[in-house]
Amino acid sequence: MTQLSSSPAKIELCSVTHLYVTSTRAFMAIKGIDLRVEEGEFICLVGPSGCGKTTILSLIAGLERPTAGKVLIENQEVVGTSPRVGYMLQQDYLFNWRSIEENIFLGLDIQGIRNQETEEYALHLLEEMELADFRKSYPHQLSGGMRQRVALVRTLSCQPEILLLDEPFSALDYQTKLKLEDLIVATLRRHKKTAILVTHDLSEAIAMGDRLFILARNPGRINREIIIPERIREPLPFHARNQEGFTDLFNQVWKEMEGLTDASRGD
Amino acid sequence: MHPEEINRIHRGYLRNERKRTIYVILTQLIIFVVFLLLWEWLARIGVINVLLFSYPSKVWALFWQQLADGSILPHIGMTVIETIIGFILGTLLGTLIAIVIWWSPFLSRVLDPYLVVANSMPKVALGPLLIVGLGPGLLSIIAMACAISVIITTITIYTSFKEVNENYIKVVRTLGGNKWQIFMLVILPATIPSIVSTLKVNVGLSWVGVIVGEFLVSKQGLGYLIIYGFQVFNFTLVMVSVAIIAVVATLMYQGVAILERKLTNQFK
Repeated sequence: MTQLSSSPAKIELCSVTHLYVTSTRAFMAIKGIDLRVEEGEFICLVGPSGCGKTTILSLIAGLERPTAGKVLIENQEVVGTSPRVGYMLQQDYLFNWRSIEENIFLGLDIQGIRNQETEEYALHLLEEMELADFRKSYPHQLSGGMRQRVALVRTLSCQPEILLLDEPFSALDYQTKLKLEDLIVATLRRHKKTAILVTHDLSEAIAMGDRLFILARNPGRINREIIIPERIREPLPFHARNQEGFTDLFNQVWKEMEGLTDASRGD
Repeated sequence: MHPEEINRIHRGYLRNERKRTIYVILTQLIIFVVFLLLWEWLARIGVINVLLFSYPSKVWALFWQQLADGSILPHIGMTVIETIIGFILGTLLGTLIAIVIWWSPFLSRVLDPYLVVANSMPKVALGPLLIVGLGPGLLSIIAMACAISVIITTITIYTSFKEVNENYIKVVRTLGGNKWQIFMLVILPATIPSIVSTLKVNVGLSWVGVIVGEFLVSKQGLGYLIIYGFQVFNFTLVMVSVAIIAVVATLMYQGVAILERKLTNQFK
């Protein structure tokens, strides 16, 4: 954390402000966000809805250009989408008309890097997710959790260095969600990816992340940073929930969030 | 409850369903036969004017005679070819325009009022202009069939392009896709079902265009036979033509419906 900026951060946001302009109004989604993410870190963004969490992901993904400020990946300004950044949405959005293997090859097709080697890598990931038997199936034959795992493979097959996760578990049932949390953390650690997770679920954020940012809204800004202690950070999310201190941390974050909602009610 | 009993109940259900289907088909046949018999009978006892409305046995005899000497076949062939070319061209052209205006939101806003006017306008009113412009022949008839379906195709398909879920586009964009890839990988495959279903509508529309076109100009075709029969007061010939149109148009519609089922199977 306290490193000198001689080694560039993996992701860096320098006083980033973003406006959404429509014919009826100009709305400030986020204001003056400063954020530094080191390589291999797992960062969680939590906060009330409308605090600009998804906006931050869109800016890092290069889907939008910030109105003011800079978004840097390894000291290079983000000007558009890049194969180095992978994005996972709230739902799988698999293409119904493509088989599972054609779905996971989608990114390879788009980036023009589809060959035997990359195909094998994608199929290897599919195997890691225990879905190898389904490569010839179609999405509608799979359950929600399986589909979200395929979506993860689709994102990872292009070998992004950074993974942006936009509430990827919100559409799943609780059991599937817990299993998938472990799977994602294990996979990302094994492949040494940097990740940013946006979520509404505080316990998920504490269990999965290395660091946690609590955002406030109107306009979206970082309210507080919480560093997850080693003992909770080390185990996989499912066991992290049973670690000593987890509940205390949860209560602390909960109170922070309560304070934010009270404050915005006072506006 | 025993499995045999469950099986028995299921079999009973299936038997009832089959019975009901047979009743429906039987009733449909009876209505058709009664209609023909009533028509024949009323004509023979002189209640309806045979000169104007003819009667089934006479229509059937003329049809057989024309089929036997082969004189009706070129007319059927011509009309069918004109219709097929018309609806394929209409669908392709309509889809093409839809792609162009999807590509350019600016153009889409510019063309919007023109599309509204063109859509509200009865296209057969353009008949004389098409004949003057393209000459009294095949070309005008096909143009008429095409004109009648092209605008509605454009509007329907453009609308379905816009209804494709934004998030599919986001998936392709985050993987680094450009606009062309967004179109080829998401928009087009996602809207194949609606493109095929406009094909179904366009078959019907093209028949209207072709028949009206043949009314106005042509020396061949079922529309020509109708007008010719009308002019020489041979209403039996008119009836034969109308009956053939009904049968052939239905066959063509069913053909496209089968195509639709095949193409959209994997989109469920």
